[in-house]
Amino acid sequence: MQQEQAHSASIALETDRLREQPYRPKRGLGVWIRKHALEIAMVSPLFLYILFFMLVPVTQSIYFSFVHEGTSTFTLDNYREIVNRSAFKDAFWNTIGITVFGVTMEMVFGLGIAFLLSRSFHGRGILRSIVLVPMGVPTIVAGAAMLYFVGFNGYINEILYDLGIIDVPIYWQQSGVRGMFVIALADVWKSLPLVVLILLAGLESIPGDVYEAAGIDGATGWQKFLHHTIPLLMPSITMALILRAIDAFRIFDIAMVLAGQAIPVMSSFVYFDYNAGNTNTASAAAVILLMMIIVFVLAYIFLVERRSEVE
Amino acid sequence: MSDTVAKAALPDAPQTYATPGKRFPWGDVIFWVVAVAVAFLVLAPLYVLVKVSLSTLAQATAPHPSYLIHNPTWDNWNRLLNWDTIGGPLTHSLIVATGTAILAILFAAPAAYVISRLPRKYRYLAILSVLFTRMFPEVIIATPIASNFFSWGLNDTNVGLILAHLIRCMPLATWILVGSFASIPRDLEESSAVDGASKVKTLIRVVLPLGAPGIAVAAIFAWLDSWNDLLYAIYLFLTERTLPLLTYYYANRGNVTDVATFSVILTIPVVIITLFLQRWIKSGTLSGAVKG
Repeated sequence: MQQEQAHSASIALETDRLREQPYRPKRGLGVWIRKHALEIAMVSPLFLYILFFMLVPVTQSIYFSFVHEGTSTFTLDNYREIVNRSAFKDAFWNTIGITVFGVTMEMVFGLGIAFLLSRSFHGRGILRSIVLVPMGVPTIVAGAAMLYFVGFNGYINEILYDLGIIDVPIYWQQSGVRGMFVIALADVWKSLPLVVLILLAGLESIPGDVYEAAGIDGATGWQKFLHHTIPLLMPSITMALILRAIDAFRIFDIAMVLAGQAIPVMSSFVYFDYNAGNTNTASAAAVILLMMIIVFVLAYIFLVERRSEVE
Repeated sequence: MSDTVAKAALPDAPQTYATPGKRFPWGDVIFWVVAVAVAFLVLAPLYVLVKVSLSTLAQATAPHPSYLIHNPTWDNWNRLLNWDTIGGPLTHSLIVATGTAILAILFAAPAAYVISRLPRKYRYLAILSVLFTRMFPEVIIATPIASNFFSWGLNDTNVGLILAHLIRCMPLATWILVGSFASIPRDLEESSAVDGASKVKTLIRVVLPLGAPGIAVAAIFAWLDSWNDLLYAIYLFLTERTLPLLTYYYANRGNVTDVATFSVILTIPVVIITLFLQRWIKSGTLSGAVKG
């Protein structure tokens, strides 16, 4: 009896001690899972979806690209085969050309329009609304609209003719620099709003003091722009540039509707190859596209970001 | 947090750049010319689409196209706006877009809430890894997805296309939602918990109503992304059509007036929605999750 009492007393003491102790999370996976059961239940659908519908397919594609069709023996033949196809070479260079043309134009025009919209003037709201319109327009429509500008009887030729620059219409929709330019143009029209939004947000977060101080120090407008605005805007520029470049590498809708197979890009090459029944070579091309994107992002981060950190 | 930053920055920003003109305002003249030119260039493609959809095939393919609308005709619209042509694709597009939006929210909202309550370092990491999936080219996912869905009999079905569209919509929805949940002060949840509400009840009664605007924006973005999609539709739909797919096939066949008409049909709901959405598509929506 006494023993029992002593025992229960010691338990009571123990619980008191535990209560008085500051809260310390218990270790052990089981405890952690029980404590966060609700959170785990809330995250797991998204997690499982990303796992099964993104990571597994990507792995599958990589696997397909390294095996023979039918048998599953390891091979590099799929890669060897596509790099020798002329359509693949075209697609590769077209994609790079479109990205370079498109992203350059987007950053230049995007910066200009963002500066325009960061000033106060009557009609600023209206201009902002107008500039944002293409953001909602379906990508395929952006491509379709460009058909009437770049066609043989399209408006670009008509304007050039009316201005007396050309006599004979130019054929724009052909593989090569012209085709790249045309597709990049449609892409610029469609994507400019996103770039403007990101850069405008960056501009608006630069405190006015910076310019006041620079003004007192006697900096001219151009100096302010070069030495204050651009460095302070760098994070926004990086974000816009990486986002846009990734999307430009993956360009599909616009190229499909504007040129179909005539001007292949990487994504449309993969689709047409898959559609022709060559899942394995299509996968190889898709893996090469993924590598292009990864190489670009890493190169940008190492070259540009690091250098600006050093400065 | 980010909202307050954006709001605080807005009234100051114009003063930073506005320069009071003392001489003849050459700057202002150039400024207005540029502003009007920008507006004109942005709207020109949409104008041309409407113009072509209102012209005959002969007018649209004439060697020297006119800049203004002459003798508009509703022929294309009368011919194409009938249920046999457009009914099936329209139904598919509407069902798939709505289903995608609802499921994207059901999957992303709970996860986004948990991510928004993580310590800052982990939240940043989670958001980055969700965004990292954007680096995958869609074709690398669509190719095996298409072959899997064929063996599961999901091709040409709305369910299959919804599952595929979620791949594109979910990361963006998660990003937007993390930003909007992060801006809900935690004090509210804590006081709700002090009052004795359970975690689930707090979520439904406190977090959900306050996060509703963000949820609406995310849902609309998901809806638009699905409505606009060509890539997954072209992989998965072989006999059936969605509206973008129909537009693509017409473009491939080269009938310019039909393409323009379908493009306008495709664009009208989208432009209306975006115009309504604009007050929310601000800096906060796009950078909220990563900042503060």
